Amino acid sequence: MLDIERRSDGTVVATGRLDAAQAARAQDYLDGIEGACVIDLSALEYISSAGLGVLLRTHKRLLADGGGLKLVNVNAHLCDIFAYSGFDRLFEIVPAQSDGNARS
Amino acid sequence: MRQEFGRSLDELANIVAFTGRFFESGAADRSLKNVVDLCVEELFVNMLRYNRESVADILIEIGPQDSGVRVSLTDFDVERFDPHDAPPVDVDAPLAEREPGGLGLYLVMKMANAVHYEYRDRVSKITFIADRKDKNAGH
Repeated sequence: MLDIERRSDGTVVATGRLDAAQAARAQDYLDGIEGACVIDLSALEYISSAGLGVLLRTHKRLLADGGGLKLVNVNAHLCDIFAYSGFDRLFEIVPAQSDGNARS
Repeated sequence: MRQEFGRSLDELANIVAFTGRFFESGAADRSLKNVVDLCVEELFVNMLRYNRESVADILIEIGPQDSGVRVSLTDFDVERFDPHDAPPVDVDAPLAEREPGGLGLYLVMKMANAVHYEYRDRVSKITFIADRKDKNAGH
């Protein structure tokens, strides 16, 4: 299951699993975001290619208007997925504190 | 362990529960669960998308294999599709050339330690091994 919400400071927080069954709901939510956006992934346990597609589609839309997505508090497993898929070169990624040796 | 799943994305939650029961039994290293779940999801979703002619459930089998896990997905009454034949993905392409999609099977090949394909009598079976050994070490 996936929970996604926006904190009062504007940061979007995603919690749970962003898989193919949740991708459409995540996309609907992120389609309402404008400008530069920080997404806190500290509680996102899992992401699949469907979730990567949601992030890429949103990032490209926001960049076209001068904004973009910044992914913060990314755990080691997600860092691996981002590295394998080349997303670590497309996004600004800040690993979780305990993953200090992860890619950024 | 083995279980059949209907041809729906709604089954993903049941598949995660199924692999969860396997790892909770202590049959394999719990740290492999995310890799197993990712490979199973990508292969399962690929079967849903490209084997639309079948209405049969998809069989998933999981068991320990040496220091890792062996997982098979079997799809019935379908055309041949070897995941090794999936089109290549340029993960080094610049953002302007990247489009959503196409990463699923690439990630399976990248994260599984081995992937084996069998096809006979319109039955397609994909087996992968996930092991604690890092196949991408040094890359």
